[in-house]
Order: sequence, then C-alpha cells, then structure tokens
Amino acid sequence: MAGTASAQQMLDQEMIARIGRRDQSAFSALYDRLSGPLYSLAIKMLGDPAEAQDALQDVFLQIWSRAAAYDPEQSSVFSWTVLLTRSRVIDRLRARGRRSRVVVASTEDTLTDAVDASTVESAADTVEKNDEAARVRYVLNNLPSEQRETIELAFFEDLSHHEIAARLGQPLGTVKARIRRGLLKLRERLNTL
Amino acid sequence: MISEEQQDQAALYALGLLGADEDAAFESELRANAELRDLVRELREAAGGLALTAPSLLPPASLKQRIMGEIAVETKRVVPMPTRRASFGWVPWAIAAALAVFCGLLALDRVRLERQLAETRAADPLMQTTFYTLAPSAPAPADAKATVAWQPGRQSGVIRISNLPAPQPGKDYQLWAVDAEHKDPISAGVVRVDKNGVAQIRFKPVEKAEHVKAFAISLERQGGVPKKEGPILLVGTT
Repeated sequence: MAGTASAQQMLDQEMIARIGRRDQSAFSALYDRLSGPLYSLAIKMLGDPAEAQDALQDVFLQIWSRAAAYDPEQSSVFSWTVLLTRSRVIDRLRARGRRSRVVVASTEDTLTDAVDASTVESAADTVEKNDEAARVRYVLNNLPSEQRETIELAFFEDLSHHEIAARLGQPLGTVKARIRRGLLKLRERLNTL
Repeated sequence: MISEEQQDQAALYALGLLGADEDAAFESELRANAELRDLVRELREAAGGLALTAPSLLPPASLKQRIMGEIAVETKRVVPMPTRRASFGWVPWAIAAALAVFCGLLALDRVRLERQLAETRAADPLMQTTFYTLAPSAPAPADAKATVAWQPGRQSGVIRISNLPAPQPGKDYQLWAVDAEHKDPISAGVVRVDKNGVAQIRFKPVEKAEHVKAFAISLERQGGVPKKEGPILLVGTT
C-alpha cells in the first residue's frame, strides 16, 4: 500500500525491471504472484470466467510490452497492474455494449459456482493475500455505508460519477464528496493499520 | 496546500472516473504540483487495494501456458529476419566495401558500448539482481517455497517464503548462501515465519559471497548456528 516501499514492492519492482529487459523467468514469477488477485478482480467485474481469462491475457501481454515504461513514482507494481486490469475489463464491457453484471453486494457464492472448483485458490496459497484482503475488507467495512457503497460502485462498475449520482439519486457534488472522503479515509486507515 | 476541489479531482482521477478533457486538464495540474502527485499516488494505492476484496480465485493453469506461449512467439518475432533484394553486378562489391568500413566503425562502437554497459551495470543495482527459486526437499511440506532476490554488488538480498510452518520450539530456520569460493555454506541469518508460514526478510550474509551458486534454508538450533548442522528444507539455484 502507500508509504515506504515494502520488501515485496521492491521485489515487484525488480521483477518489472527484468521483464523490461525481456526476462521470461521474471515474467513467469510475476504472473504467479499477481494472476490470482487480478483474475479475481476481472471475474468480479465481468462475471464470466472465459471473458475474465481473455482480459487477464490482455493484461499480462500489456505488462510484458510496457514493463520498461513502468514508473514507480506513479504507483506500486500491484496498483499499476490492478488499474491496467480494471481498464481492460472496462474496455471489454463497453465493447460488448453491456454493463457489469455484478452488483457490489457479496456475490461470492454465485461466483464460486460459476467457476470450476479446481480453479478456486487453495487456502494455503492464499494465506498471505488473504491477510491483506482481510485488512482492506475490514477498513472498507468500517467506512460509513454511503461512502463504501459509492466507492464500490465507482471501482467495480463501469459507471461515471454522473451515472453513480443518477443511480443513487444523489446530487453530483454529494457523490464526489463521498468518493473523496471514502478514499482518503481508506488511504489513511490502511497506512495506520 | 491542496484544496477540497483538487482532492475531489484527485480521487476521481485515481479511480479513472474523469472524462478525457478533465483527465488532460488534471494531468497538466499534476505536472506542476508535487503535493498533488503524492496524493494521487496514495489514492491509487488505496484504490488498488480494493481489488483484494473480490472473492479469491485462481485462473486455470492453461492460461499461463497460453500467455507464456504468446510472449515466446513475440520475442522471436522481434528478431530481424534477412530480406531478399534484387541484385545488380556492382551491388555486391559496393556492399562489401561499405561493410568493411562499417565493420571498422562497429568495432570501435562496440568497445565504446561495452564500456558504457559496464558503467551502467555498476551504477544500476537492479541490473545486478539475481533471482533464486527455492524448492522443498524432505521433510519440508511439498508446497513450501521461497524466492530470493540477491544483489552481489550490495551483498544483500530479500527472501520471501510461503507455506513453511513455524518450527517446533527450540528450533529456528536459517538461511545459507552456497558460494563457489567457500567450503561451507555462509550463514545469512535466522529467518522467522509468521503464523501463516510466511516471511519476507532482508538479509546480509556474515561473510562476503561473490559467487553464490545457491541459497538454502535448514532447520537449526534456536538462534542459529555458525556452521550448518541441521537438515536442508528448501534449496534452489537461479
């Protein structure tokens, strides 16, 4: 997360630097580390395993071709790849002329049913990621509900802030303020936890 | 000082919610405002973390094979292929003469480039990083693994371990650098995993290790030992 670069962030940056020099073993290692969370994000937004796999393929090919241009001043490798994934998923949603099928309310059961059981990550493999995920979930769940709902709509659905305002029946200024306050609180609490 | 309106824009920008025009205007503001850039970076990190709240799933193994296949093909594609040209009697001689001159220039250039490369390598520690993948050997669990990023120039590295359960009381895991110029493995210190079997630690071997062939983790007495005694649990080369 934000703040001083962690050992993991340094390791990620080193892998990206090697990928920029066309190192396939570093690419393979980065895939092993990030494909789970990025796939999970893609499938939550698209609701379709086949489409999520295509999107993930686009993302990793983009990582391969753009690694040399990665700028650590702008974001960590993890956030960079998350935002790349979100962007590719949104492109797909728009290209197919439909909106995300997944509402922000918990869809865990539905999603798990939609995917072959063999692809569900084993508990042991996800322990570390789940720690971080639990931390983010905890912070997110402790935001005021209207801020949480607005941020989730903004992040997981292909909606502009104008569309979010229309969906929630709130003035645009209110939506902007909720997003700002929610994201600032999220940043602050993740940094202090 | 960042105004509330700038904070609004920064949050929308971090989430990719601004339109193209607003994006361009905000980016020009960002270029001139370092404090605002820092805020955007932190908000991006917070936004990136939201991805971790999605239900955890893994893609099928076949996807990795597909992607690795694609990049292998692309890597081959960028190698320049010789092209056929129409030829005239004088052309080969002209080409040979030009090549002779060119080779001379290339030889000079190569010397210069080699010098530059050596200077760049010396200046950029990332170019000196070597990765080692450590695989389990009995009695470690089959899914235990570790990766070492080692920088010989700095004589330091980072190890990331997963799925290695905490040792029994009175024992510790110890990291070793196996160096071609040392008879015995060099201790790189005790590594402690958390309750989930995960560790991420910076280390520095106790002696200079300039030709590291492998890294290994053994099970030792609590606090570590100067010379390896216990069984090797994880070991790996580049």
